[in-house]
Amino acid sequence: MAGHIVKGRFPRRRLVQTVAANLVRRLFQGAARSWARNIASNAPALGSMTLLLVMSGLIGLTGFALHNLEQTEASQASLLHVYLRDDAAGGDVVSLMNRLSTDPRVSTVVYVTKADALQRAQHMPGLPELAQASDSNPFPASLDVQVKNIDDVAAIDASVRDDVTVDPVYPTSYDRGAYQRIQAVLFGAAIAGAAFLALLGFVAVMVTMNSIKIAIHSRRDEIAIMQLVGASRWMVRGPFVIEGAITGVLAGAVAGLITLGLTATGTSLASGTLTQFAPGISIAVGVVAAAIVVLVGLVLGSGSSLISLRRHMET
Amino acid sequence: MRSIVQFSAVSRLYGSRRALENVDLTLEPGELAFLVGPSGAGKTTLLKLINREIRPSSGEVWVAGFAAHQLKKSRVAQLRRRVGVVFQDYKLLPRLNAMENVAFGLQVGDLRISEDEARDRSLDALEAVGLGDRAGALPHQLSGGQQQRVAVARAVVAQPPLLIADEPTGNLDLETAWGIMDLFEDIAAWGTAVLVATHNVEIVTRLQRRVLTLVDGRLVRDQPAGQTGRMAWLATS
Repeated sequence: MAGHIVKGRFPRRRLVQTVAANLVRRLFQGAARSWARNIASNAPALGSMTLLLVMSGLIGLTGFALHNLEQTEASQASLLHVYLRDDAAGGDVVSLMNRLSTDPRVSTVVYVTKADALQRAQHMPGLPELAQASDSNPFPASLDVQVKNIDDVAAIDASVRDDVTVDPVYPTSYDRGAYQRIQAVLFGAAIAGAAFLALLGFVAVMVTMNSIKIAIHSRRDEIAIMQLVGASRWMVRGPFVIEGAITGVLAGAVAGLITLGLTATGTSLASGTLTQFAPGISIAVGVVAAAIVVLVGLVLGSGSSLISLRRHMET
Repeated sequence: MRSIVQFSAVSRLYGSRRALENVDLTLEPGELAFLVGPSGAGKTTLLKLINREIRPSSGEVWVAGFAAHQLKKSRVAQLRRRVGVVFQDYKLLPRLNAMENVAFGLQVGDLRISEDEARDRSLDALEAVGLGDRAGALPHQLSGGQQQRVAVARAVVAQPPLLIADEPTGNLDLETAWGIMDLFEDIAAWGTAVLVATHNVEIVTRLQRRVLTLVDGRLVRDQPAGQTGRMAWLATS
């Protein structure tokens, strides 16, 4: 009679636990031990990557502030102040307001009295002293015209500056090319920042690759034995990728803390100046920037290791 | 029964130098065979082809059901888990003790093996090679023969169908070498095919196992077990 083979089933849950435990031990614990053992060769990579990530964090925050500044400038550049003569007749002003309000290129028109203008000036840097220096109110009444498209501001300006109600000496706030100049400066700053970051990134990647190369060299016997006894490619490479990731995450954590610390210091010590020159920067933004810096460190560290492995593992 | 190793018209070139030329051979389960020949005859090249460290320039190499001649890199590890390897210089990891070295060979090849199972099987393997009492010793605390026994235990702990050994007694005295050969005979008796590349004429002649003789990359003689042949190649070694 033919025998019946009964195969014992290995409990799936226990199998998963065993594989997970082996993965943690072989990949993560092994990588951590190796990283600690090779601390001397990892230190340059850690230092250069920390420097890169601190610079990235600060440049990122600066970029965010400049972006907000550009948005503010764009919004202000599309707001045209039409200054009115002190002796302008009420009917003429209403007529001009109606003409502008019905213009399809205009979003809103708001009449600002001399008293409102004085009150507004008292919140602007340097202007309160000017207001107090004179017995009378030196600020003119105006129409604040919000133009839908910034490219139409020049045409709106041309259509109102010869109106009888408009101040002939200083008719509007329109400054041809001011916005474009700001854009050009910001674009230049962005290019310079990106180039600087790319250079630092290149240095950090090269140094990390070198430290992984040293780690591969110091463990070449172990690697050879692993390959000969049938370890899979990722089993051989995994610990090195994790070593790179450890370098990246540690550098990212240090850089993230520095970025967050500087943001917190800036917002607590110079909140007024920060709001004016770096709008939108807050503790919450600092936390997000720090998290991104850690993530970039992780990607940079493991990516550098992978490149190094591709170059050096086969040899 | 399918052969564990099958070479069909295998040649291997290193640049313009021909290391193996048109070699045909088969190795069956449970067979212990010696690979002999002068230095540079192609013995190590043949073993490297089996373990897929290199590919043949032409011909087919089948190992434990794998077509090693066309095996992708991503599948080489699978083949190597079916081939135990023993080296002349043992290749033990100096930081690991004997038991850990054996378990290392078991676990890096199969993550499903738990720590306890790896320890038990490693201790069994060390018992089998006569080193059950030295499981905690580091390699530098063991003699050459003992280190080679640990290497043999590591090679067979996963119970591969094939064991290849490249000059396994090259660094050992004759008495210790005989001990290693006894182990190989035991392993072959369990059903594992064993192929040993060696220069040790005394062992080859006295054991009277199958002898494959390579000269200048060509398989010039395939002497069946139970016969004692001349070792003409010695004149050129």
